[in-house]
Amino acid sequence: MGATFLRSFLVQGAWNYHTMLGTGFAFALLPGLRRLYRQDPDALEAAIRRHTEHFNAHPYLTGVALGAALRLEQEGADEGTVRRFKTAVRGPLGSLGDRLVWASWLPAVALASLVIYWLGAGWAWSSAFFLVVYNAGHLALRVWGLRAGWSAGREVAGRLRAAGLGELAERLGPVGAVLSGLLCGVLGAGPLADAGDGGLWVALASAGFVLGLAAGHRAWRAAAVGTVVAVAAVVVVSSLPGGAG
Amino acid sequence: MGGLQLFGLVVLGGLVGLDGTSVGQFMVSRPLIAGALAGWIVGDPATGIAMGAVLELFLLVSFPTGGSRFPEGSTATVVAVGTASAVGGPGALPLGVALGLAWGHLGGSTVTALRKANTRAAAAPGRPMGPGRVGRALTRGIGMDFARAVLLTAAGLTVGTGLLSSPARAWPLSDDRSLALLIVGGFVSAGISLHGLGGARARGLWFLTGAAMGVAAMRIL
Repeated sequence: MGATFLRSFLVQGAWNYHTMLGTGFAFALLPGLRRLYRQDPDALEAAIRRHTEHFNAHPYLTGVALGAALRLEQEGADEGTVRRFKTAVRGPLGSLGDRLVWASWLPAVALASLVIYWLGAGWAWSSAFFLVVYNAGHLALRVWGLRAGWSAGREVAGRLRAAGLGELAERLGPVGAVLSGLLCGVLGAGPLADAGDGGLWVALASAGFVLGLAAGHRAWRAAAVGTVVAVAAVVVVSSLPGGAG
Repeated sequence: MGGLQLFGLVVLGGLVGLDGTSVGQFMVSRPLIAGALAGWIVGDPATGIAMGAVLELFLLVSFPTGGSRFPEGSTATVVAVGTASAVGGPGALPLGVALGLAWGHLGGSTVTALRKANTRAAAAPGRPMGPGRVGRALTRGIGMDFARAVLLTAAGLTVGTGLLSSPARAWPLSDDRSLALLIVGGFVSAGISLHGLGGARARGLWFLTGAAMGVAAMRIL
């Protein structure tokens, strides 16, 4: 299981729109499959073929499927059972991981790190805080996932429900909102207030915040393009005869 | 910027590009960390993390979810910090960040192109997958991703240092106003973040509590 765990860090190494994680999934399972089918090269090749087929999940939770698939192979489950199992778990493992990690854990730790940075902690503390705290959760999830999959096998769905990862993501929502507010407060009373101009920057930032709150992800491109255009406009204006420069 | 520093930045670009999706996802690829590392390579980690923090604020809502197309913050941050260090001047921060935002979009396009190349390889007819072929396919994918990120970083540093030296020296705004200009754009991401957490109705009270705490902390510190 140790080799499978280490290989699971490469599960997205050949990510593609055809089999998605399929190649990485089979690569991570290889040490276990080799051990199971060491006397039967044809069975090994068949096992590799079925595990390179289409599979997708959140990378941190792929270990759940890896452990359970290895357990099914060890129990001698037929090809159809293994395929049906992987098809059944890939959706939940993807959406649960997206909600827990990408939408909750990563933003929360990133927000906290930014708050720490703008409160005056040095570069080393801010970056060390992010890496240590984020990866404590990341690695714990990977270790737990592989163990849960291996020990529960085809019953892993029940283990996932009992772990309450969805509820954990829900509970991180208010934490993220407090941290988001904290960051806005720190930036508003710090760098934006320091820039002066009678509160102009605070007013502009508030308008930007409301735009993001109202429009969601659709506003992101406008913000990025708007910032690039604003910087370019300052360059152009300052280069004109009698410009700000 | 010396040759050794340039080499270090390009290799760093390749490594953080890998961390984004292909290898590990320890989030060394987040702008905050990539900025500090790039700053360390050019001998100024404080400036590196300052640029990384601004880009992190923008990219708070950008994550490598499934098959979605997302701006690549990792190589973009290395390009931004390397360019700012090379061009210097009062405009190094805003011009570096603007270049980073543009380069992040380009980086996202190259990730999509790489995935399409991987798709062609995975769908190609041939011998059935054996143990050796699985390993080779993975090595090929990771190698191509590293090469992609290295080339993207090198190209960004070339473009940035070539185009931005003169505007960076002539930049007219003070450091405070330059930072404020960038943070205004970043506040849109903070709004999007609250939108994603359930919006003002569900989380507004939590957000306002945090904002009050943030203002109080700045008054005290």
